[in-house]
Amino acid sequence: MRILVVEDEPRLLRSLAKALREEGYAVDTAEAGDDGLFKAQSYDYDAVVLDIMLPKLDGWELLARLRQHKKTLVLMLTARDATHDRVRSLDSGADDYLVKPFDLPELLARLRALIRRAAGQARPSIELGDVVIDLRGRSVTRAGAPVTLTAREYAILEYLAVHRGEVVTRSALYEHLFDESDDTLSNLLDVHVFSLRKKLGAGLIVTRRGQGYCIE
Amino acid sequence: MFPKSIRWRLQTWLGFLLLCVLAGFGVTAYQLNRTNQFRQIDEELGRRIAALSSDVRGVPPFGPPFGPPPFAPGLDGQAGHPPKPDFHGPRGRPEDFLDSREIRLSPPTASLFSEAGANGFFFAVWSRNGKLLKHSTNAPPALARPERPDSAMHVHAQTEGIVREAFVFTELGECVLVGRAIRVDLAALRRFAWLLVLADATVLALGLGGGWFLTSRALQPVENISAAASRIAQGNLAERINVAETDSELGRLAGVLNSTFARLEAAFLQQRQFTADASHELRTPLAVLISEAQTTLARERSAADYRETLEACLDTAQQMRRLTESLLELARLDAGQDKLNRERFDLAGKARACLDRLRPLAAPRGVQLHADLQPVEVVGDPDRLGQLVTNLLTNAIYYNREGGEVTVSVRREDATAILSVADTGAGIAAEDLPHIFERFYRADKARGTAEGRTGLGLAICQAVVQAHGGTIEVSSEPGAGTTFLVKLPLEV
Repeated sequence: MRILVVEDEPRLLRSLAKALREEGYAVDTAEAGDDGLFKAQSYDYDAVVLDIMLPKLDGWELLARLRQHKKTLVLMLTARDATHDRVRSLDSGADDYLVKPFDLPELLARLRALIRRAAGQARPSIELGDVVIDLRGRSVTRAGAPVTLTAREYAILEYLAVHRGEVVTRSALYEHLFDESDDTLSNLLDVHVFSLRKKLGAGLIVTRRGQGYCIE
Repeated sequence: MFPKSIRWRLQTWLGFLLLCVLAGFGVTAYQLNRTNQFRQIDEELGRRIAALSSDVRGVPPFGPPFGPPPFAPGLDGQAGHPPKPDFHGPRGRPEDFLDSREIRLSPPTASLFSEAGANGFFFAVWSRNGKLLKHSTNAPPALARPERPDSAMHVHAQTEGIVREAFVFTELGECVLVGRAIRVDLAALRRFAWLLVLADATVLALGLGGGWFLTSRALQPVENISAAASRIAQGNLAERINVAETDSELGRLAGVLNSTFARLEAAFLQQRQFTADASHELRTPLAVLISEAQTTLARERSAADYRETLEACLDTAQQMRRLTESLLELARLDAGQDKLNRERFDLAGKARACLDRLRPLAAPRGVQLHADLQPVEVVGDPDRLGQLVTNLLTNAIYYNREGGEVTVSVRREDATAILSVADTGAGIAAEDLPHIFERFYRADKARGTAEGRTGLGLAICQAVVQAHGGTIEVSSEPGAGTTFLVKLPLEV
């Protein structure tokens, strides 16, 4: 899952990015509105965390322009708690909002819920045969026994599971799993998939030659 | 309720005044009419009394003057004699003669009394001794000779009941009285009086109705103003009074009130903007603190990680402290002048001290600091004015270009101390210039709070200057630099 954080306070941006990366998200950042809009339009982010008070282009304006082309999930962060500010945020196309100062666990939970619902997944766990993915706890069990995955392995599994039945191209996987600061070599993807097959069974992830990967 | 309403008070006064005017008019009109009527009657009476008394006087003691009068056969023997007004003739005593004298009316005089009926004129003639010599048939039976007044030779008029009469005493003491019943005239006067009352009542009613209409019309703008004001009081600050006519007194009042409401709304919006901005400025560092701490506590970290987090938290806390102090400072300045310390001190010395304190800030940016300071004694709050200089200098250094210059000068012009701080920075865009003294306004929005800027520095400067009764102006040329000019009165 790849997330864009647009926030003009550098320290908040840094700590948010750090927290999200530790949760296994690929995170891009932007400090100004115009930069944020450019990035949001360039990639299909799984979610955007958007501050309202931004230099150059405020959050509402950014959202309005983004909505002309994309349906990307947007969670707005606002220091304004007046009702009309919250209403304006939701009405201008935000999918959720949080008032600053917020609790980090709540932000993470709301992001998970947003992404899960957007994928048509109402329940917080996905069952793939005897493999069960707990999206909330970011843990995987096989036949009831916990399986230890690295953050990358989990991210790949989660993305393929959420888009179950679809063929996910390698480039899409790259776009959603690695952020702009990653300089991962492409063959590492094969290494992670190989490792996942070893831990969860060879038949779970199917390779479509020349197209990508799929969980059926 | 009624006595307090302007409309009712106006109505009452209008009614009272109308009543006075109408009553005065009515009474006057009645009196005039009555006097006129009586004068006419008196003229008629006078005409008749003159004719009658001339007849009375014209009767000679011994008979008619010319020829045998057709109506007096008893005096035939005297015919042919010229008139001899010998009142003390040989025939008996004059009193007896006077008492027995027969009065004859000449035809013109008789025709004056010929009309019969109750409205007709009547007459009576008494001798000196009070004997009724002659009277008309229509004379009231109870008619008595009036008392002889002092000026007997004049015609006297008087009203006896429903009879108006006039009388005169002749030289011989005979009393000639002419009268007329005036029942009809009095009735006409009464009718006239009732007519007046009716007319007055109509005019009063019309006047009160018109007054009600006029006061309603005149008070309508007041009602509008009151309604608009109460809507504003209920919280709808965008409400304005609909001013239809701007030239009337109430129109001007409405205009004044509208501009007051506009200022009120602007102040209110500014206050709301300030509150929203302040909450944003305070919530953001809180968000940083909480998020830093929660991220770090989510798992075990290395000592370096903890250190980094603590440093970030400390920085953020310092930023909050600066912001809090600035907000408190502004609140104190907003509270009014009485909180200012007043001391006499040298503004140039203060500026020099501030300049020296800020050299460490200027040095790493390669900014040259210049001073042109002439001693000027001012009365004011040295700490606050020091803060003013510091804020202006900090801005000048901060927004300068690498290796730029900052010039601070203090001089005196008449009774004004002038402080100017000029930099050679990028300048301020024309569209930002009117706003730079607004709280939390940042011309350069990209440069946020990270470098310790609260967005309140210039707002505090302005508040300090205003508290000292001075002015602060800014002029800027994009690309060349910005100059702040502060003018302070020497004595606050």
